[in-house]
Amino acid sequence: MKYLLRHTTRYDYTSSVTLSHNEARLLLRDLPWQKCENTRLIITPEPLRQHERRDFFGNRVVYFAIQDIHDSLEVTVESQVTTQPRPQPDIGMTTPWETVAEQMAPGSHHQNPVTEAACLEARLFTLDSPFIRRQPELAEFAMESFTPGRPLIEAILHLNRRIFTEFKYDPEFSTLATPVLDVLHNRKGVCQDFAHLAIGALRSIGLAARYVSGYLETLPPPGQEKLLGADASHAWLGVFVPSWGWMEIDPTNGSTPSERYLTLGWGRDYADVTPLKGVMNGGGAHDLHVAVDVLPAP
Amino acid sequence: MLNTSALGDELRQLLDNYPVTPGYDELVEPDGNIRARWQGVLDELADLGLDGLSQRSEEVQNLLHENGVTFNVYEDDAGKLRSWQLDPLPYVISTQDWEPLEQGLIQRSRLLEALVEDLYGERRVIRDGILPPELVYTHPAWLFAAADNQHRSERPMLIFHGMDVIRDHLGEWRVMADWTQAPSGAGYALENRILLARAMSTLYRDAPLRRLAGFLQAQHRCLAQLAQHHREEPNIVLLTPGPGSPGYFEHAWLANYMNFSLVEGGDLVVRDGQVAMRTLGGLKTVDVIVRQITDPWCDPLELRGDSLLGVPGLMQAARRGEVEIANTLGVGVLEHPALTCFMPALCEFLLGEPLLLKGRETRWCGEPEHLQDLLQFPPRWQLRDISDPGTVIHPEHLTTSQRERLQQAMQHSPHLYVGQLPMQAASTPSFNSREQRLQPQPVNLRLFSLADPGEMKKPARERQHRIMPGGLAWVAEPGTPVMESTLVKDIWVLAPVTQPHVSLLRQAHGPVLVTRDGKDLPSRVADSLFWMGRYGERLDNRTRLLRETLGHLLEDGQLPLDQTLLPDLFTALEVELPDFDSTEDTPALIRARKMNSRSSRQFILLREKLLDQLGEQSMDGLPWLFSHFLRNSRAVRDHLGDDAWRTLNSLRQKFNDLPRTQGASSGRRSLEDLVTHLAAFFGLCNETMPHHYGWRFMDIGRFIERLLTSLELLKLALITAQQPGIPLWEVVLATTDNLTVYRRRYRSQLHPTAILDLLLFDETNPRSVGYMLKRLGRQIERLPQPGSSPFRSRETRLVIEATSRLHLVDLDSLVDLDTSRDARKALEALLDQLIDPISSLSDAISHSHFSHAETPRQLVTLQTSV
Repeated sequence: MKYLLRHTTRYDYTSSVTLSHNEARLLLRDLPWQKCENTRLIITPEPLRQHERRDFFGNRVVYFAIQDIHDSLEVTVESQVTTQPRPQPDIGMTTPWETVAEQMAPGSHHQNPVTEAACLEARLFTLDSPFIRRQPELAEFAMESFTPGRPLIEAILHLNRRIFTEFKYDPEFSTLATPVLDVLHNRKGVCQDFAHLAIGALRSIGLAARYVSGYLETLPPPGQEKLLGADASHAWLGVFVPSWGWMEIDPTNGSTPSERYLTLGWGRDYADVTPLKGVMNGGGAHDLHVAVDVLPAP
Repeated sequence: MLNTSALGDELRQLLDNYPVTPGYDELVEPDGNIRARWQGVLDELADLGLDGLSQRSEEVQNLLHENGVTFNVYEDDAGKLRSWQLDPLPYVISTQDWEPLEQGLIQRSRLLEALVEDLYGERRVIRDGILPPELVYTHPAWLFAAADNQHRSERPMLIFHGMDVIRDHLGEWRVMADWTQAPSGAGYALENRILLARAMSTLYRDAPLRRLAGFLQAQHRCLAQLAQHHREEPNIVLLTPGPGSPGYFEHAWLANYMNFSLVEGGDLVVRDGQVAMRTLGGLKTVDVIVRQITDPWCDPLELRGDSLLGVPGLMQAARRGEVEIANTLGVGVLEHPALTCFMPALCEFLLGEPLLLKGRETRWCGEPEHLQDLLQFPPRWQLRDISDPGTVIHPEHLTTSQRERLQQAMQHSPHLYVGQLPMQAASTPSFNSREQRLQPQPVNLRLFSLADPGEMKKPARERQHRIMPGGLAWVAEPGTPVMESTLVKDIWVLAPVTQPHVSLLRQAHGPVLVTRDGKDLPSRVADSLFWMGRYGERLDNRTRLLRETLGHLLEDGQLPLDQTLLPDLFTALEVELPDFDSTEDTPALIRARKMNSRSSRQFILLREKLLDQLGEQSMDGLPWLFSHFLRNSRAVRDHLGDDAWRTLNSLRQKFNDLPRTQGASSGRRSLEDLVTHLAAFFGLCNETMPHHYGWRFMDIGRFIERLLTSLELLKLALITAQQPGIPLWEVVLATTDNLTVYRRRYRSQLHPTAILDLLLFDETNPRSVGYMLKRLGRQIERLPQPGSSPFRSRETRLVIEATSRLHLVDLDSLVDLDTSRDARKALEALLDQLIDPISSLSDAISHSHFSHAETPRQLVTLQTSV
């Protein structure tokens, strides 16, 4: 698929900002199934300094500093993105999930050195992270899907469906940092919450899971025209499958990401891939306005 | 038995009861003979004699105290500083013992350097399974933000490395801990060396010991080298968390010694990609930061967002090579106590050589079998929680439920827990000054390595490190933090031949920056000096006024109140009179009754109110004022002379004792003493501080305060007093230290017009309003003018306003003050017209000159998502 992506974030401050240092993780990664072209990052007011680098996870990060006194900040990304279907693991894979959890545990070793290295690298994603803590209650929640001896892939897909069917999507409920247990107890939240919940559940039973941030092309209700700016950022997760790689699932929609999913980057949780961070002098209160368009390109 | 046959009487007495232990003793060999390396030292001690040694020891403690060697622990109340004693007896390391130790320490620095470069670079140690990932990634000082090696500069990350070492009971060196983020103790080591060399000059001059000065010079060269591609004379700053931090004394001391600017996070700002220091003359680029702030707190943009100590954008500036930070951000992960378990393997893997120095007995719970062992809490094993560095858990001291909680936590995150077995140290002699003999004690050493300045730009494998031939030793069980010890020692590394004594004070200075104390003065320092001046002056004024009031209380306290000046004096002090009608007993009344005091109830109540001003509870009481004065003084430690600092320290002692003052006359005596010390302090400041901007700000602070107090006192004495007249005028003259001048000029006749002339108009009298205004005007005129506007600044205009009112007043309207109502009215109007602009002056100065960097705030992203 080909898309035109446009994502604008605008802050209006109640008092002037004299100096701000910012970090944007708003540029899409190039991946085997995703190519980006003609990417533009437009920042207003124009920053004095701007540098791009790759972070620990390989995500693209742009640092920029604004020194002119300003009352608003607008960051827009435009990109032409071509996506292809992601590789999918063999649904018939029979490895029981317990075997995988054992392989991920410290002290275990794999015969194949390539698998061993991959497992070592993925072990970071079995640990607690800023927003996600492993806990017995989450393990219990996971166990309903991860029944004894069940093949890993089957169990993952079951968990994915369960969150989709048992939880209510409710944008009113969530603040940015909803504790995972609140989501579990109230059975509602938004995409970040569901991704965090699934990651927490998987880590609590010893599996490696990472947070993926990106976009999803939304389709208008049948017979209606798509509204501009109506799309939004999206979040899902990847689960590590040894000897294969990272399998992605989207518990918000109960599906596995397809060509309609554009990947920005990944990390241990939301904290590692916050789209726009900043520290500033001045500013007072601020209004935030976000508009995202994922438009199919001709 | 200790073999003392070869020793003289003095030594025999000194070594009386010194036990011969089965474990290794630094002084005595197992057969009872004195070890060779101590021979020279003992001979010198014998020459000093017992009395001599005691005297020297006492002198050392006095010097230490006067120099204010104190450290502060965050948990302690502000202002409550603890200090330690310095043993006149050094810790002695022979040439033969030093060499392998030195080699081992150098290897350790090389190893840690190689490790940290790999961790933030290729991470081979993790990929190849040498180091488990969860050990590294969960350490609080592991910085994901530092783990991209695209802009890695070709220089060592670990410039300065502190290592805690003990000699164990078998005589073997063991490394107890590594300090890489802000290794402290080098400043203390130097200070100790300087003090001991002063107190025991013969011993230190003649002893064949290695000198420290060269190491310090190398450190300066090393830091200057880091910046060399920028500039000839790099601007090096020492970044401290501030006066509240445990190491602040040392930060100030080192900054002063090495000639660096002492800065806090708020003094620095990243602009134009570069780090700059806010100074009176505007922003000044910083080339090298010697940081004393731990890793996670250095940059609220990329690291901990709640940090108020750090500098937003600092990581990016460092990443781009715009500023060099020593040590590099992220090296804190090397302080992980569980690394000890992996050191032998890491050394083979990274350096291809066997590890020379053993660490301490350590088990990491990240290894399943060790977790199982340690979950049983085997006897003697202590635990450390990586997320709470510095805390040692003693399972045997925990309650059952605490132990259960700990076990759960260990099972939940085993990688965060480390078990350590207490070590047994060799015994080392230290001088027990009370019993006048030597005593065996366990000792910890902190030793330091430095990346060799000559080889910094070489590839990692060829770089060398050098070890400071000395360091800080402290008496305590192995592994006890230095802050918890009460006795520290100098460390002697013996040289084969006597080395020339190099004065640390003269030669170790780096290149002198000619503009220091000029416009380069950080705005925050100017701010603190200004408030030091104001609080110091307020303290002085109140002390004098209290002294006078206590005097009057002693003379007239038993008379009917309306026949005394006391109500007026209470007004001047802004202290409410006691409630004489109340039937309730106050603590002082109860105490007086118990002691069958003959003083009247009125006297006791008045005295209680006044002595309250010496207590810590009273807002605006003397100790409260002093704590503010001290806080500001400490913030500018590096700008005060040593003598001024010493005076400040004895003041601190006096203020500590002040709340315990009993009785009016002893209170008066204490206050007398304080007045003298405060005068000495400011006198020394005037004598020793360069009369540059910093001094001017202090002076302006003092004179604004003095002016306001004088004006208020005049108003009280001449206009609003209940008991106006000669006795009250006398108090005014005494409080403002004008009584002698007045007597000399006017004999003993007190007359309002004469007082008015002396205190208001006479510009030759340094206590007159006229003089003070003139001085303020002159000082303000000479401040740097930011933004060089053609218009007069607000502060200049305020001084002109006050001065012209004083000059233009119709003197005839003020005669016959004691009889004429109109004259008093005119005077009151004049005083108000003077008080008005001067009250606004402080704000005006603060607005124009002090840094008003608001605390930077986080931009919160609340994103809408599907």
